[in-house]
Amino acid sequence: MNQFTFTAKQKTFLLAMMGLGLLSMVITFFADDALHTRFWSNFLHNSTFFTGIAFTSLFVLTAFITAWSGWHVLVKRIWEAYSLFMIPGLVLLAILIIGLYGGFHHLYHWADAEAVAGDAVLSGKSSFLNKGWYSIGTFVVVGAWIFFAIKLRQLSIAEEKVQDANFSTHKKMRVWSAAFLPIAGFSSAAIIWQWLMSVDAHWYSTMYAWYATASWFVSAMALTIITLVYLKSLGYLSQVNDNHLHDVGKFMFAFSIFWTYLWFSQYMLIWYANVGEETVYFQERLDNYPVLFFGNLLLNFVAPFFILMRNDNKRKYGTLVLTAIVVLFGHWWDFFMMIKPGVYHTAQEVLAHAASHGEEAAHAAGHHASSFVAGFTLPGLLEIGTFIGFLGLFFYVVFNNLTKASLISEKDPYYGESAHHRVWPF
Amino acid sequence: MRKYNKNVLYGLYDDDEQLLTAIHNAREAHLEIDNVYTPFPVHDLEEAMGLSESRIHIAGFVYGSIGALFGFLFMTWVFTRDWPIIFGGKPYWSVPAFIPITFELTVLFAAIGMVVSFYTVCGLWPGVENPTLDDRITDDKFCLAFDVTNADGDKVEQLKSFLSGTGASEVNQKAI
Repeated sequence: MNQFTFTAKQKTFLLAMMGLGLLSMVITFFADDALHTRFWSNFLHNSTFFTGIAFTSLFVLTAFITAWSGWHVLVKRIWEAYSLFMIPGLVLLAILIIGLYGGFHHLYHWADAEAVAGDAVLSGKSSFLNKGWYSIGTFVVVGAWIFFAIKLRQLSIAEEKVQDANFSTHKKMRVWSAAFLPIAGFSSAAIIWQWLMSVDAHWYSTMYAWYATASWFVSAMALTIITLVYLKSLGYLSQVNDNHLHDVGKFMFAFSIFWTYLWFSQYMLIWYANVGEETVYFQERLDNYPVLFFGNLLLNFVAPFFILMRNDNKRKYGTLVLTAIVVLFGHWWDFFMMIKPGVYHTAQEVLAHAASHGEEAAHAAGHHASSFVAGFTLPGLLEIGTFIGFLGLFFYVVFNNLTKASLISEKDPYYGESAHHRVWPF
Repeated sequence: MRKYNKNVLYGLYDDDEQLLTAIHNAREAHLEIDNVYTPFPVHDLEEAMGLSESRIHIAGFVYGSIGALFGFLFMTWVFTRDWPIIFGGKPYWSVPAFIPITFELTVLFAAIGMVVSFYTVCGLWPGVENPTLDDRITDDKFCLAFDVTNADGDKVEQLKSFLSGTGASEVNQKAI
């Protein structure tokens, strides 16, 4: 079975997931503070998380094509389908941009002209942190990513159709892939500063972009494992076996450690240098969000490190899927921790400012969040519901894209290598 | 010079595929293989010979754990009990600063421990001289060896015909 059929049952299930997500978002919106901070921060959280997964899938695919990799050919249709989620992703981000111009949300402190005028740090950064850069950056960068995703998808499908002794279509794919890599490297960093790091507008870290990208990467691998095993359970992709899963598992394992390395590098340098304007980020999280902070390490380092360390655990479907679920949730949790404290802080300041127009009240808002705040201190049921909704949307788009081409690209020059791939026993 | 006190009958093959087939046939015929020598790692060889998986990585995990504990506890003792010094206004027990060294010692202990274990298990230590059956097995020949120390003439003849029958370009006997 090389042709995927998107059954009515799957559609109903995914639509139900989306319905649950929509319901959660509506409840969040109406049970929210005056600025709808919880709603908008959840929206930002999930939009960037899933768009990033789509982006890293394209990055992985282009990196493998550039490296003349062979084993991934049986998996590549899934990554192509993932990468096309960037199109709905851009729509989601456009909603955030509309909210930014309309003043519907107060996610970003730098978007508040009054606050910027009275703040030396924010006005110093205003040439980069402004609405124009945010929206143009998003459209240009994600637009470029989508362009490459569509280009590679078209070439990959064209490769199926033509009899080509010189592999000219594949050579074109190589050129486009290689061109994408440097663009992806620089543009993703710049756009992550805008989307996520600028939530804590006063703070900055040079490790942040890589750290967030590593999170996306691991999540993309975890989702790939879940999708592969699900498709296999339906009888598709019979040629994909534990050797391919072993390799995807290795990527998940390796990049979990890479993520930890970046997490620690960021933490230790800031801790060691002990500069107030940098330590404030971790001070806030350690004091007011300790479960988020340490849970993050438990989910994203301790769990995958010890479970996936053994060779054969990366070849057991059940263990691998379980770890993939833990790690996917873990990185969603990681993004939650990146976004929520900063957004909450900004919202409190804006609310206090609106209430009194006084310096003192705004200052007092600095000492907040010492108690539990649902949806900020920890993800609540509404956050989980929103996550499930976005997951449903993601898979709806992915399955829809999977139906548009055969699941296995038999004309790829490396198809044979992938079909006979064996990594263990050596 | 190390002595095995063994009398070995061995065949030299020109090709690793021939060797794998010969091993397969030998195991089918219940002939006990003494050892196999190849000039480079051959895929599927362990599987064909029926060797069990190496346990060196389990030892590596244990050595690594020892290294991690040793590094961390040693630094803890030094900086809290033995010689407490304040560095840059940090507390005596500065866990983040210990992590890189703990990591390095984990790697060091695991690496050295595994090398020493491996050499000990293989009987390789400084000054050891291992007898080689034939110099060309480090160059371009693949060797399948049988131990014939206690074998009678019929058995040796059977093994000889097996070796030449499976494509060995040369069959020799040597005491090592």
